Amino acid sequence: MLRHLSSIWTFRHFWMSLVKMDLMTRYRKSVLGIGWSLLQPIAMTAILTVVFSQIGPRGQTVETGWRHYSIMTFAALTVFGFLRDSCLHGCRCLTHNEAYIRQCPLPFSIYSLRTVLGLTIHFLITVMVIVAMAVLFQGAEATLPTLWMLAPMLPLIVLCGWALATIAGFATVYFNDVSHILEIAAQMLFFLTPVIYERKILIGEDASRAWLVDYNPAAAFIETFQRPLVYHEPASTLAYSLTVGFTLAMVVLACLTIRYLSKRVIFHM
Amino acid sequence: MARIDLQDASLTFSLRQTRNVTLKEYLLKGMFLRSVNPKLPVRALDGITLRAGDGDRIGIIGHNGAGKSTLLKLIAGVYPPTRGTRVVDGRICSLFDIALGFEFEATGWDNIRYRSYLQGESPKSLTHKIAEIAEFTELGDFLKTPVRYYSAGMMVRLAFAIATAVEPEVLLIDEVLSVGDHAFQAKANERMKQLMSRSRLMVMVSHSMDSIIRMCSHALLLRQGTIQMQGDPDDVVRTYLEGIAPTNASHPVGGLIDAATQPAAAVEAIQEPVLAP
Repeated sequence: MLRHLSSIWTFRHFWMSLVKMDLMTRYRKSVLGIGWSLLQPIAMTAILTVVFSQIGPRGQTVETGWRHYSIMTFAALTVFGFLRDSCLHGCRCLTHNEAYIRQCPLPFSIYSLRTVLGLTIHFLITVMVIVAMAVLFQGAEATLPTLWMLAPMLPLIVLCGWALATIAGFATVYFNDVSHILEIAAQMLFFLTPVIYERKILIGEDASRAWLVDYNPAAAFIETFQRPLVYHEPASTLAYSLTVGFTLAMVVLACLTIRYLSKRVIFHM
Repeated sequence: MARIDLQDASLTFSLRQTRNVTLKEYLLKGMFLRSVNPKLPVRALDGITLRAGDGDRIGIIGHNGAGKSTLLKLIAGVYPPTRGTRVVDGRICSLFDIALGFEFEATGWDNIRYRSYLQGESPKSLTHKIAEIAEFTELGDFLKTPVRYYSAGMMVRLAFAIATAVEPEVLLIDEVLSVGDHAFQAKANERMKQLMSRSRLMVMVSHSMDSIIRMCSHALLLRQGTIQMQGDPDDVVRTYLEGIAPTNASHPVGGLIDAATQPAAAVEAIQEPVLAP
């Protein structure tokens, strides 16, 4: 494992330059550049805020206030979007880099890093926009003192994204169907996670459905970002435990996948 | 110290009619349905034993599909041996398909950086080399344009200049001695000579018997994944050339298909592909 990490470090200039190139290529000749990536969740948040203030379930935004709702939704969309994209884009991380894999025996982790670091840059910019929005809507005195609570969550979610991308990347080499299955699973998970609804609306009156949210890792990640930003308090202990536990489990699974398949996967490409 | 030590190294590929296995195929395989996409093992390399150290210059010859390029990739670590052991010490520089792995949307300058970093260079070490690499390509202002606008020859020039700018300990070369146009070839040959003299250990695959005799101290003749003969390059090349005459003699290519262990349907599927109407 140490040799693997040392090799990733040795080739840091290579994968970092590829991440930079991916970003430049994506936004070359584009009027808004990276703004397009920001515009999508901003537009989605604006639409949802307007829709739910008019026809939403039980007047969700009327109850909590549209400012509050828009920050909650924007944060949830950003966190959920990062985890979903890590899985879906991660599916192509090995097949997309096949030319390098066939030329040079580099550590396989760098290909999922290439994918996830590109997503991380967008994610961090979006988080900054959410913070700016929270300061604008709720005031700096209320927002800034609890911002530090996001600091440990940022590397944790990136680590989780890398692990998910790595597992999805290896799985796709073996089974083409994985990306399609994950796409459907992400759609289902979107409606089982409090992304556009608040938790109490998703669970409703029936407390027996609470486990759907309580033990949903995506919901836990969302809570760890929403609580400090909107309620100015830390998330629940269960949410922190679940994010740490899920990330560790995924990282262990990704490391075992690399260890077991790194000498086998080339025969399936 | 540079060292290559292969002990009884073998490499078996499992071919399938279709490249990827579907989840359905994987789940149903071996249960109650007969596999529609069975594996067919092909022994690409079989029982290769090779020891080389500092100063050795090894040439590999053989027919198409004899396993020459696969052996180089095994030495490079791209393919792990499925049986036997592989130990290689020293910084490896591999010149395989040198046009492979370009980032087509990036400029020539950017590709010089990516590929140099891939070869283990750092921004600091590249500072001293990048101008020399650019000059060697003779691409001038084209280096500022994306690589997708390059012709095949221009791409080969760029790839060759980058690949040969390193300080290798173990140099692996696969048929790259005839790159570019005639003007570039003389320059490329000179560069190759310098690179070979700088490297401690070289393994070269070539169909140019003249190059093998001139540049190598030891030669291997591969046939269907096994070493048929090894020794002095003159003797090995002579045996190879005698083996291919008369020109209408049959020369089996490719690794050995391990048909004995496989269901007949799998072998038929590979040997007698069904043509679409």
